[in-house]
Amino acid sequence: MTATVVKLAFAGIRTRLLASVITVLLAATATSTIVLAFEVGASARDPWQRTFDAANGAHVLADVPTEADARDIAARPGVAEADEPTPITTAQARLPAGTEALLIVGLDSRPTVNVPIAVDGAHDPGAGIVLEHSLADAVGITVGDTLRLQAPSGPVDLNVVGTAISPSVSRYPRQNPGLAWVSRSTLEAVQPDSSQWNWLAPIRLVDPTLERAFADDVFRSFPPRTVYTITAGEQRENTLIETQPTSLILTTYTIVILLVVFTVIGILIGARASQQRREIGLAKAVGLTPRQVSTIFTIETTTLGVVGLLIGFAVGVLAAPRLAQPTFATLLGTPTIAPNPIHLVVAAIPILLVLAIGAWVSTRRRSRLSVVGAIRSGAGRPGSRSRIARLADRAGASLPLALGLKDLLAQRGRAALLSAAIAATTGSVVFALCMKATLDAPASNVVSDVPAELPALVYTLDGVLLVIAVTTLVAVTILAVREHVRDFGVLRTVGFTPRQVTSSLVSAHTAVAVVAATASIPLGIGLYIGMYGAAGGDSSDLVIAPWWWLGLVPTAAAVIVSVSTGLPARIAARTPIIDALRYE
Amino acid sequence: MAALLEACRLARSYGEGSARVDALRGVDLRVERGEFVAVMGPSGCGKSTLLNVLAGLDRPSSGEVWLDGRRIDELSETALARLRRRSIGFVFQSFNLLPTLSAVENVELPLLLAGRGRRKARRIAVGLLDELGVGARPDAAPSQLSGGQQQRVALARALANSPDIVMGDEPTGNLDSVASREVLGLLAAARGRGQTLLLVTHDARVAAAADRVITVRDGMLAEQEGLQPARRVTLPFDPPARS
Repeated sequence: MTATVVKLAFAGIRTRLLASVITVLLAATATSTIVLAFEVGASARDPWQRTFDAANGAHVLADVPTEADARDIAARPGVAEADEPTPITTAQARLPAGTEALLIVGLDSRPTVNVPIAVDGAHDPGAGIVLEHSLADAVGITVGDTLRLQAPSGPVDLNVVGTAISPSVSRYPRQNPGLAWVSRSTLEAVQPDSSQWNWLAPIRLVDPTLERAFADDVFRSFPPRTVYTITAGEQRENTLIETQPTSLILTTYTIVILLVVFTVIGILIGARASQQRREIGLAKAVGLTPRQVSTIFTIETTTLGVVGLLIGFAVGVLAAPRLAQPTFATLLGTPTIAPNPIHLVVAAIPILLVLAIGAWVSTRRRSRLSVVGAIRSGAGRPGSRSRIARLADRAGASLPLALGLKDLLAQRGRAALLSAAIAATTGSVVFALCMKATLDAPASNVVSDVPAELPALVYTLDGVLLVIAVTTLVAVTILAVREHVRDFGVLRTVGFTPRQVTSSLVSAHTAVAVVAATASIPLGIGLYIGMYGAAGGDSSDLVIAPWWWLGLVPTAAAVIVSVSTGLPARIAARTPIIDALRYE
Repeated sequence: MAALLEACRLARSYGEGSARVDALRGVDLRVERGEFVAVMGPSGCGKSTLLNVLAGLDRPSSGEVWLDGRRIDELSETALARLRRRSIGFVFQSFNLLPTLSAVENVELPLLLAGRGRRKARRIAVGLLDELGVGARPDAAPSQLSGGQQQRVALARALANSPDIVMGDEPTGNLDSVASREVLGLLAAARGRGQTLLLVTHDARVAAAADRVITVRDGMLAEQEGLQPARRVTLPFDPPARS
């Protein structure tokens, strides 16, 4: 019997191609977002380590007030290697976007610890200046340009001879002020007052695992607020923090997508189970129990889910380096593909659970019909009568709309799931619009610290959700059309024109979409505020999308739903009446 | 009497080549205004096809259909729908009520389509249901009604706009003898009000109530083959003719 159940399940996959494709698409999308969230961070760890190794990075980098302090730290027990103390000071630089502060490091000779790694041009500043690579990128300065620094004695023009990266520096403007390397003599020319200098002591330890303890010891040995230390672990975290917004967005979308998956699977399987009451009856007539009938649907859905999982895992692993790209403005090498099977397992648990529960719940009730009742049903079962539809009727809705609403809302569960799927999708669009409004809010002459890929990622995920929602709508409409082909024939017999029949289906779906999309506006705003707060965002920077952007959401939902339901409805409405009346 | 419905050399075939089936083969038919015509014949002879083509539910392969002096087989789907909503009432063997609408909503649908106001449509629909004996349950869903009650509702829907002609395909085919008798009485009453009836039936009692019985065999009318038409029989439940 088990073999029969499995065989029936796989037969179902072949015969219901559209629903099968949607299920795979849903599972793949959900998986890829989960895997991306994990892999984005992981893909940047190796390049940071490569950069650290190439730079002979400092296990502890101390910023202290005097050269003597720096030498004192370098002489402490546990130090394996230390460079000559390097002076550092702040200068005002005239950048293309305006005047900004720069941290300039004065190099006496080629350092041996925490070495800047040249990306373009020379690594030795000589009489010019080497800019940190992400700073140069962000402000639009290239090798060969001239940079003017303000010195007490007047402006100092320096030739940009190169750009470089360092494992201790995160991407500008998260690292703000930006960093630059000059010769010791240039630093003295820019800031002759040595009391305005600080000193860097890059330290490598005999036992790198003691870096935290060493840094704490240094910190405690100086008066408060006179010393600053950063360990290698903190340098790495600071650099990798670039991937946090991406991971946060991906996590949010994972939750939204899982909700959409649950509702869409409920819709698809529920609608299909309704449509297949006859087959369910026949299956029961030959001896299958309700549990076995539900098992058929559950096996079918979870099998498709496994296919989607594998596709989504591959997509996630391949896309992660691209999404981690912003971090590489400060790192050596390219992002690595680091597929981790544990991520696949972590993604599989919620997705397969959602798919299996969705399939089981939506078929369990329908498989309990009596055999005769199930077999007898050629057309869709009459649903309950909706108060909302009656109210719309009394409020003077057009005849096709009133009729379409009565019909759509008669299947309460499906109407609720359809509304939920639309609301979840449009809610995520509202989320994206609010994020775009926040990103657009800063003045145009301030460099944003948001990776350029982040908005693109959000729009891509919105696009995926939109595709899912539209595909689901088409699938639901096709199922609804199939269920009502005979009713359409009856309507045309009593005098409905094909256009009126089409209108009844399209207008009802559109009305539901508009209501769901409107309700999703506060949902999306709430989600955005919640996620912004969870990400530690400053509430004074939070910007809600303008009302007219939000007003476009229900309008766009109405247009998309009208278009996506229009075609199957038109085809059904033009079926010859006699064929429609014979349809079972 | 003037002809309300005319068919000239009506043919309808399905499929092509060796699979081709000629359901109608050059049928000529004339139904006078106010006449009650029953169409009989063995299963598969083409009588339902004939009715569907005459009602504009299906299109002939060749030939012409005229209703009240207007050729209807060449009308667009939209024009046919408008014609059906005012001029043709149709009753099916399987009732074909819309399952998500109540009895009264099913009946008022053609009235609303014809442009009546909601209140007036509801009043007329309730009146029709009362007249046909299902007025006590206007808000019941079709699934909550018996077969006889559903067919009464279907009949009320067909009569709602006082169409020129009411056509029925085995309207008593799914009913028990009591319900059949009741529905037949209601059809006869409609005919008594001057409406033209064209019913496909296997039921001898229906045929007996008709002014004229035409028999279809192999896609042709028996009269065209020179067969004797059935004679008129008056049944006890026939209403008196309207003066």
